[in-house]
Amino acid sequence: MIGFVVFSLKRAWQGFWRNALMSLAATATMVLMLVLLAGFWIIQTGLLSALDFTESKIEVTANINIGATQSDIDELKGRIQAMPEVTTVTFVSRDEALARFQQSMKDQGREDLTKYLDTNPFTASYEVKLTDPGEAPKVAAALRHDPVVRNVLDTKETAQNVKTVTDILRTAGSVILLVIGVIVLFIIVNTIRLAVVARAEEIEIMRLVGASDAFIRWPFVFEGAMVGLFGAIITLGGLYLLADPIGSFMVDFFRVLPLSFGSLARDLVVLVSAAGLGLGVLGSWLSVRTYLIR
Amino acid sequence: MTLASNQSAPAAAARSFRERLRRRGQDRAEAERAVLVLHDVTKTYPNGKTALRDVDLVIPEGDFVFLVGPSGAGKSTLIKLLIRDEIATVGSVVLDGQDLARLPRRQVPKIRRKIGIVFQDFKLLPTKNVWENVAFALEVTGSPRRKIGPAVDRVLALVGLTAQRAQLPSQLSGGEQQRTAIARALVHDPRLIIADEPTGNLDPLISWEIIQLLLRINELGVTVMMATHNAEVVTALRKRVVALEEGRVIRDEVGGSYHRVD
Repeated sequence: MIGFVVFSLKRAWQGFWRNALMSLAATATMVLMLVLLAGFWIIQTGLLSALDFTESKIEVTANINIGATQSDIDELKGRIQAMPEVTTVTFVSRDEALARFQQSMKDQGREDLTKYLDTNPFTASYEVKLTDPGEAPKVAAALRHDPVVRNVLDTKETAQNVKTVTDILRTAGSVILLVIGVIVLFIIVNTIRLAVVARAEEIEIMRLVGASDAFIRWPFVFEGAMVGLFGAIITLGGLYLLADPIGSFMVDFFRVLPLSFGSLARDLVVLVSAAGLGLGVLGSWLSVRTYLIR
Repeated sequence: MTLASNQSAPAAAARSFRERLRRRGQDRAEAERAVLVLHDVTKTYPNGKTALRDVDLVIPEGDFVFLVGPSGAGKSTLIKLLIRDEIATVGSVVLDGQDLARLPRRQVPKIRRKIGIVFQDFKLLPTKNVWENVAFALEVTGSPRRKIGPAVDRVLALVGLTAQRAQLPSQLSGGEQQRTAIARALVHDPRLIIADEPTGNLDPLISWEIIQLLLRINELGVTVMMATHNAEVVTALRKRVVALEEGRVIRDEVGGSYHRVD
């Protein structure tokens, strides 16, 4: 068994360098694909956490009629909480609403116009958080028909835009990766096919002296795995060197840093290694399989 | 049937045993003791060409058989059936008690280790030296490293190539290359050696050397089947001769010559 593994690895190594140009070309294509994969993954992770952040702010605001009595307001709270889509309901009084507005004007350095008013123009409101942003229109519609509710604001649109971008990115990214993945697979199949042809004489002799298929197949599978492994190492090495610029780019671009870089790095190592090795092994397996059947 | 006067008693016994087998047809229990039994074998290729028709052949342990016949008579097809490169369309090929047509694919490598095969063009690996070429056969069949060395040394001594062990095939004469191939065929301790035109690329003197080597191996108890066009050798040795023509066995006689003697 150890002899088999040593034999296979030795031949895989010889095979890789026997046709070095082709093997390196396959490795380079593999690197290209893995870099794109990692890039998409990084951007996607950033956008998703940005989306999470936005979604956590999503709420439906129901402004309450000024003439509503305290009991009307309490009953409304009960009706809102009874809806299954609702997680929390927060009451904002008229005074609080005025205070918030004044604060935000001050923050933006604009003049507070409310001081010219005799009365507080704000209404009290309920800020409603939802289990799923998709439910916002439904909840908003139900509240609009409530007699105690004056009007309804829903902030769903902002979140929806982010979500659309993420969805498009995910779809386009998947399609592009799939296409490149297929190309990489073809290149590996061809590289290994060349390696097999270069060893055609040896394979014939191996068959005649009674070598099992495993002894014929595994050196080539290891050779394909080497292409994947080298590709993954080069890609991850490059990413490691670029980790700082990538980190600051993510902070700048997404404005928020809700993700831990450590877990992203771990995911990337697993993702890139698995994709590289998987494609390498699959490609060479297919290549040798068609050859063995012939 | 005529026996040459100088033949030993055991060899004569083996031949009479074979005669009995033939007369009684395919008695399974006895046929299993033969190294090779072909029964009613017909091989038709997918293109419709029939290469072998109704071939019956029993080769007992320790036999030395010449397989003769013009090109295209079916010698190569017969050899392909024996190493299960092809499967008989009709009939059975039983090697060492195993029906090759019913053999699962996974078992094919194991049956091939019971056969040593030698070709006209030697089929040596040019980048490996003599010792490595022979060791390769054991290496790729998963033999443990500690067994490879002694086994290779032993067969190289048997074929007389111990001194040339470190040379590459390109540094060897044709006869030495063929002896390397024979050593490789022997290294698995096969039941049967199949030599397909082993002297086809060699001059007459070297050819005799190779034949002598095959005879010596046969004396050690290994069954040998040699396909050849070399009429001089076949006629001189007076061994069993199986002649094929247009896919049929037209002659099977012990002590026969290359050509039919009427």
